[in-house]
Amino acid sequence: MALLEIEDVGKSFGSLKAVDGVTLSVEKGRIQGIAGPNGSGKSTLFNLVTGIPFGPDRGRVRIDGVPIERLSAHEIAGAGIARTFQRETSFDGLTVFENALVGATFGGRIRASAMAREAAAEALQLAGFAPAGFGRLAGELSVFERKCLMLATACAMRPKLLLLDEPASGLTRPEIEASIGLVRSIAASGVTIVLIEHVLTFLMNLSDHLVILSGGRVLASGSPREVIADPAVVEVYLGTRRSAA
Amino acid sequence: MSALATRAAQVGSPPRTPGRMPATVEAIAFAAGFAFLACLPLLVGGSYGRHVLIMAFLYAVIASNWDLSLGYGGIFNFAHLALFGIGVYAYALLTKLVGIEPWTALVLSGFIATAAAVLVTVPILRLKGIFIILVTFGFAQLVMQVILSQSELTGGTQGIVRIPGLTLGDHSMIRDNKFAYFYLALGLLALSTAALRIIVRSRLGAAIVALRDNEDYAVARGLSVARLRLFTMASSAFFTGAAGAFYAAYQRNASIDVFGMSLSTVILSMVLLGGTGTIYGAILASFLLTLFSEAMADFGAWRPMIVAVLIVGVMLAYPAGLAGLVKAAAGHAGRLVRST
Repeated sequence: MALLEIEDVGKSFGSLKAVDGVTLSVEKGRIQGIAGPNGSGKSTLFNLVTGIPFGPDRGRVRIDGVPIERLSAHEIAGAGIARTFQRETSFDGLTVFENALVGATFGGRIRASAMAREAAAEALQLAGFAPAGFGRLAGELSVFERKCLMLATACAMRPKLLLLDEPASGLTRPEIEASIGLVRSIAASGVTIVLIEHVLTFLMNLSDHLVILSGGRVLASGSPREVIADPAVVEVYLGTRRSAA
Repeated sequence: MSALATRAAQVGSPPRTPGRMPATVEAIAFAAGFAFLACLPLLVGGSYGRHVLIMAFLYAVIASNWDLSLGYGGIFNFAHLALFGIGVYAYALLTKLVGIEPWTALVLSGFIATAAAVLVTVPILRLKGIFIILVTFGFAQLVMQVILSQSELTGGTQGIVRIPGLTLGDHSMIRDNKFAYFYLALGLLALSTAALRIIVRSRLGAAIVALRDNEDYAVARGLSVARLRLFTMASSAFFTGAAGAFYAAYQRNASIDVFGMSLSTVILSMVLLGGTGTIYGAILASFLLTLFSEAMADFGAWRPMIVAVLIVGVMLAYPAGLAGLVKAAAGHAGRLVRST
């Protein structure tokens, strides 16, 4: 059953069609990868689904069958969609624990203080933070630690759907390996994941299903092995072989 | 020590506010600090000394509430002193024209300032930075012009005189050498500070900082910009308005001067000198600047210049303000104790 349904969604900036009639669905419990060249509309698609910073000009977005394209961005978060950003982002003036607590309380809509604190601590430990580090200011963390914290704040929301925007960018190889393990354990906890990534090992390792975008449209969709063997995809990524004159 | 560890087993239950001062420790320090302030009349003789302290307490209320919207919320709210002015005039009009009992009028003035804060927040909900300064500054000017234009009610440039003061049963507030006003001002500061600290230590307080640090990320974590900005501005307004009412009751007159740039500048320098985002820093700076300014009274025209140079000096040495200085001193003392 589809958890997320995107139907003929579009967004233009002047004459540029950043996303041009994309239709796709994400099955519950799946890790779905999205790839494509720079400017193909991957991050814009995340923006349109989450309403941050803008929603779609046209089309429909449904989560669990409920339309969300007219909701404001914080309501979409409250409806169970958590996202991360390409750049490592944190609430620098708050501690590691407070960062996760904000996610649990407002995104997860957990009113009771004790339950919100429990959700925050759980999410932080899942992301590899030891309780001894909960009191550190987020502004003092390394790039990798901030990326993990961004994931932890998303998990603290106890979302149905997690949208990850290039979680491996700027990381070293061992950090990428650790991130793959982290995304796997989040998926194992029952969260459906959509993943934008340029790092192929990341995508091939994790995705059950892969979608390639190009020029704001869906170019190919299927199992990762099928998709990367698709001649249209090879052409977009590597260009055509120049024929001998 | 790295915050990341390989799924370390949790040892015992984590503290309630990791990385922050435990609430009980802060409550004890808070009580000790206010007990000390309550004993000040024993150290500072004369009704003039108490008058200076009353003004320091009122400035501290205004500055620390401004720290909530400006320091914690990152909202460049230049209408904060207008909220104080609204408190002054609301109290004056409610007691003199409507004939409401002073204590009720004081509480109502707090609510009127809160309503005004909500009103000024609506147009700035979608704005950022310089545009918020423009709108809030414009609002302050608008309030002043309304008061000037309604001179039949407000006295225009003449202001309002003979405003009823606060009462405490049969106690004579005028002939007690300002003892009662001293303790009432201290009580107002204690209530305001407790309310502010409870807010900033709460999950809502964390949300206010989150929105300041990164708006898109905060929204992605379920925060409503509109609701949170309204809450921040409204909760910084109540005690500011009540302080205005207290000021009107204490001075027994209301003047348009409260909307002037000079008072705004003085209070803003208290917020910045104290170090934003601490509440206590703004209070400490209000005390120090008021007392220092009094001590320099003999220097006449040199006084504001000396105070200005001092502020610049502290800000250059400690960009995080007096709160940063206290933190650095505490860290230094800690290292000294450990090394001996």
